[in-house]
Amino acid sequence: MAKYIARRLLIAIPLLLVITIIVFLLIHAAPYDAIDAMTNPKMSQETIDAIRARYGYDKPVWVQYFAWLGGILQGNFGYSIVSKTSISEQLAVRIPNTILLVLPSYLVAYVLAIVLGLVAGSHRGGKADHVIDGIASVLIAVPSFWLAMLLIFVFGYLLRWLPIVGMQTVGDGSFVDVLRHYILPFVTLTIAFLPDNLRYVRSSTITQITQDYVVVQQAFGAKRSEIMFRHVCRNVLGPILTRLGMALPMLVTGAIITETIFSWPGVGPYFMTAIKGMDYPVIMSILILSSALVILGNLLADVLNALADPRIRQGVIA
Amino acid sequence: MSDMTGSALSRRSFVKAAGAAAGMGAATALLSKLGISGGDASFAYAADGGKTFTYAIAGEPSVSPNVVTTSDRFGLMTLKLVYSPLWMYNADGINYFLAESYDESDDHLTLTVHLRQGVTWNDGEPFTADDVVFSYEAAESDPEANQYSQLVYDEGKVEVTKVDDNTVDFKFPFVSADAAEMISQFFIMPKHLYEGVTDWENNDVNAKGVGTGPYKLDEYATGQYLSFSANESYFLGKPNIDRVVFQVITNENTGMQAIQAGEVNAWIGTPTEIQQMSIEANGLTVTPYGEGRVAYLAINCKRVTDENVRKAILFSFDKKAIADAALLSDEYYDLEYTFLPTTSQFYAPDAVEKYERDIDKAKQLLADAGQTNPSFTIAYDSGNTLTETDALMMQEQAAEAGITLNIQAIDPTALSNAMKDENNEYDMYFGGYIMGIDPSTFYSLFGVDQAWNYMHYGDEYSQIDDLFNQGSTETDPDKRKQIYSDVQKAIQDTGAFYPLYSNKRLLVTTSNVKNIEEAKLVPVYTFEDLSKLDMD
Repeated sequence: MAKYIARRLLIAIPLLLVITIIVFLLIHAAPYDAIDAMTNPKMSQETIDAIRARYGYDKPVWVQYFAWLGGILQGNFGYSIVSKTSISEQLAVRIPNTILLVLPSYLVAYVLAIVLGLVAGSHRGGKADHVIDGIASVLIAVPSFWLAMLLIFVFGYLLRWLPIVGMQTVGDGSFVDVLRHYILPFVTLTIAFLPDNLRYVRSSTITQITQDYVVVQQAFGAKRSEIMFRHVCRNVLGPILTRLGMALPMLVTGAIITETIFSWPGVGPYFMTAIKGMDYPVIMSILILSSALVILGNLLADVLNALADPRIRQGVIA
Repeated sequence: MSDMTGSALSRRSFVKAAGAAAGMGAATALLSKLGISGGDASFAYAADGGKTFTYAIAGEPSVSPNVVTTSDRFGLMTLKLVYSPLWMYNADGINYFLAESYDESDDHLTLTVHLRQGVTWNDGEPFTADDVVFSYEAAESDPEANQYSQLVYDEGKVEVTKVDDNTVDFKFPFVSADAAEMISQFFIMPKHLYEGVTDWENNDVNAKGVGTGPYKLDEYATGQYLSFSANESYFLGKPNIDRVVFQVITNENTGMQAIQAGEVNAWIGTPTEIQQMSIEANGLTVTPYGEGRVAYLAINCKRVTDENVRKAILFSFDKKAIADAALLSDEYYDLEYTFLPTTSQFYAPDAVEKYERDIDKAKQLLADAGQTNPSFTIAYDSGNTLTETDALMMQEQAAEAGITLNIQAIDPTALSNAMKDENNEYDMYFGGYIMGIDPSTFYSLFGVDQAWNYMHYGDEYSQIDDLFNQGSTETDPDKRKQIYSDVQKAIQDTGAFYPLYSNKRLLVTTSNVKNIEEAKLVPVYTFEDLSKLDMD
């Protein structure tokens, strides 16, 4: 198993390099760069050229790429071109804020999806299935920015129950205050994460329930609940664990839109501003982090799957 | 079978429990971290319970705010609270802060500035002429300084010398008619703290926020807010409001709801947003104020080479209809007819061709140029609904004169980058600028070889350069007026520069905010002196 994980991690390195090259080239293919966004009519051409030279824009793209890669390899994300602040310092503040929002809402959505999905799938065609599947179908079509605005309008503006903006009231860092700011973005994200997983659990439950082993169990006179929890559940849970692993990058980039709308001080608004300003060191750092998490997440999914399913585990070891 | 079930169940419950524990652990750790970070400030604030003014800002200061290199709106707003300039120079003239007056030498080269006495930094140290000399010299030594181009010229730099503790001389390398403006709006930093600092953006001093301004910066919570508390010893009197918060709200719809719900006290809206809001029901006040930003259409002279064709296009437009469509109400804009904002004392609308709509004349000019049904591309910034409306209106109006305009939406920075190149692929595009008060500051937008000459005037229009050069060195006020009146005429006669309007900024405030007039609304900073603002 350790060997398998090590091999997978080694394969991930060239993959990450290819991703960085593609992203770097794409950023440089844009018709402007961060310096264009910074200059103004009061600056002379010499000043603009000096600024360009300072950030290495006067050199060929590959020189710029290797300079950047050299920094990353030394564990140095570098500085934002636009704000000149240290990217690692910014991320150290913002990633925890994003995780605080994404992790609980994803877990709640995940648990709800499993429960509701099993209920719907095992009562296929019944009333419960119609209701649950119907709600999931509607929610999957609801864009999260629209839902966020709706919640803000109803609970923040019309009813004035909850605050709209940010993570805390200035000067009041109490737990209750943070909690009040937390509810709306949390609900938005939970609803955003829910339908996808729910429909997945429901359809794999339906697939499992029609399998021969279920018919055999029924023929042996096993109770419905026994079949569900002892057999169907275990087979449904495997692929669901995979999805949990693959959700890992969500911890960084899972709430970009929701965070921006609620002015939640996470990675989202930082990333959006960087993209608008073509602030490539910031864009690259966040993309590196999230692609590394995609790769790690896939690995984690495989490991979780192997842990949960002896058939796969034996295959891996062999 | 039961064996297998048992082991599988235990493993499953283990995985689940482990996952939940890890999740809970992380969340608790994060929450406690949060509680600690917010804790200190909350304690200080909860104790006195005074007036708090929360102003929604649509972004963050782009660099660590410092008087030398900060040039963005939110950074400058922050500086305006913490530091003070010698004076502010706006459309209505000079408003003194750290200076009390200035004299001009007989040769018009030197300004002798008399400083206000008895001013102290908010750490208790006295403010002196040394601080002034130090700050200006710092700006002159860094080409990236915001003020650099106003202090350092091809002819040399402005020499700043201390006469005594309360007097400073500014000696210009040439006779400059707008010297008082060139040294205005620049904030003075404390020499005793910044001496030895070389990197203006990354140092430990910026965060201390030691200034002479009405407020002190208490906390800058990245991505969230900047909070300030009143400087009790402010030299123009203790501020009325105890605390000011700049709350970062990047999403405009969120901002709109936040001001309506009273979560913030002030916010900047657009006419369309104001129209969607329940202004009266929520007790809000809308105060429009001008920033002297001129929005214009530029026609690329290198692509549309015939002056008559350009004029034909301009005669097909109806400026007022365009402005009404884009800005909804004439309370929210001033129509512009020359490159100078209407608020400028050099504004000379009567001297210029205004291009009032005249379809027959447009058709006649086209016929003279031997053109029938010409077609042009017009590009606008894809994120800007104002210029989008402008373009649509122009397309419709030009069609009546038999001119086809093909509209293209382009990313704003990509567009402004393309505009710099005279061989770009667009015949016309929109721009806008806020320049200084003195007309000489507009030269970089129109001079033949100037970087921001988006009309791409060539040598055939060198008269514009000559006039600007005369104007900047002429000291006789009447002669200057005449020269700049001629510049305005010359630029309008090219038929390539079509000023549209200066749209006002709309400040929306909650009902408890008062004394906006005393605090005075000015370009960039919003309030000239926020210490005068008050709340119920």
